[in-house]
Amino acid sequence: MNLRPYGVLLAAFGFLMTVGAGVAQTAQYVQVQNSDQVILTRWALQHIMARHWPDSPAAGAGKFQEGTTEASLRDLINEAVRSGRGRQNTHGRPGTLYEYDFRRQIGTTIDGGPATRLRVVVNNRNEVVTAFPF
Amino acid sequence: MHLDYRLTDDRETDWSSVTEEDLRYRVALGNLIFRVDDKDFSAAWGWIPLIDLVASFGEIVRKLEGRSTSETFEFTESDAWIRFEKKDGKVLVSTSYGEGVGEIPLSPLAEAIKSFRERLHSEIVRKHPHAAHNAAVKKLLGVG
Repeated sequence: MNLRPYGVLLAAFGFLMTVGAGVAQTAQYVQVQNSDQVILTRWALQHIMARHWPDSPAAGAGKFQEGTTEASLRDLINEAVRSGRGRQNTHGRPGTLYEYDFRRQIGTTIDGGPATRLRVVVNNRNEVVTAFPF
Repeated sequence: MHLDYRLTDDRETDWSSVTEEDLRYRVALGNLIFRVDDKDFSAAWGWIPLIDLVASFGEIVRKLEGRSTSETFEFTESDAWIRFEKKDGKVLVSTSYGEGVGEIPLSPLAEAIKSFRERLHSEIVRKHPHAAHNAAVKKLLGVG
């Protein structure tokens, strides 16, 4: 069950940090967004890269496939949110978890095996908190 | 049972302004040390948000003290989990990443979590005095 209300309209007005072309961009704009898309901030991207990028040394954390880019990561995340199963975050953690099985390898599990699934944590401001293959 | 932690050094965090989301995912990271009987469920991954972990463990114990018979802790950056199952007045502990099942009465588990929370709070406040006044820290560590 997808917990996100269909057709949510988010108007983000003001200065918003976004990720693009590897450079943090600060822009003043109105962003119209539906439930298929979430915001990937520079901070979230750095968080994900530190733990889950192919060259990350973090132990006990799934890794994305070699060749994953910021753009392909964003595509994976949006597909998982659009098509995946949503559930409330656990034990008092705020936000929603989305999980989706791409039925192709997108990375490696914590044991080093092939990972086909993605878990995305989205907070109540529609921003990605973290995302990892498993 | 032995429940403990190792906190990673952190000189960058502004503890006066950290949010609950920071504490749940990005701040006060470290390792979990968790042994039940001869079963070792420790996780030396370095990235485990320890305030989130102990807050979640506390929530799990509260539920087990109530009507719940099974609760699962999910790590924030992997699909690894720790399961707590209440059976005949004891709690069976198992994980996705370690072998075997440990067994402990509920009351000592609750005490160990309380001690973990108090030690973690003391260490953080000693190293980062601004944390003592942070509302999210107070909320998740149950002080103030």
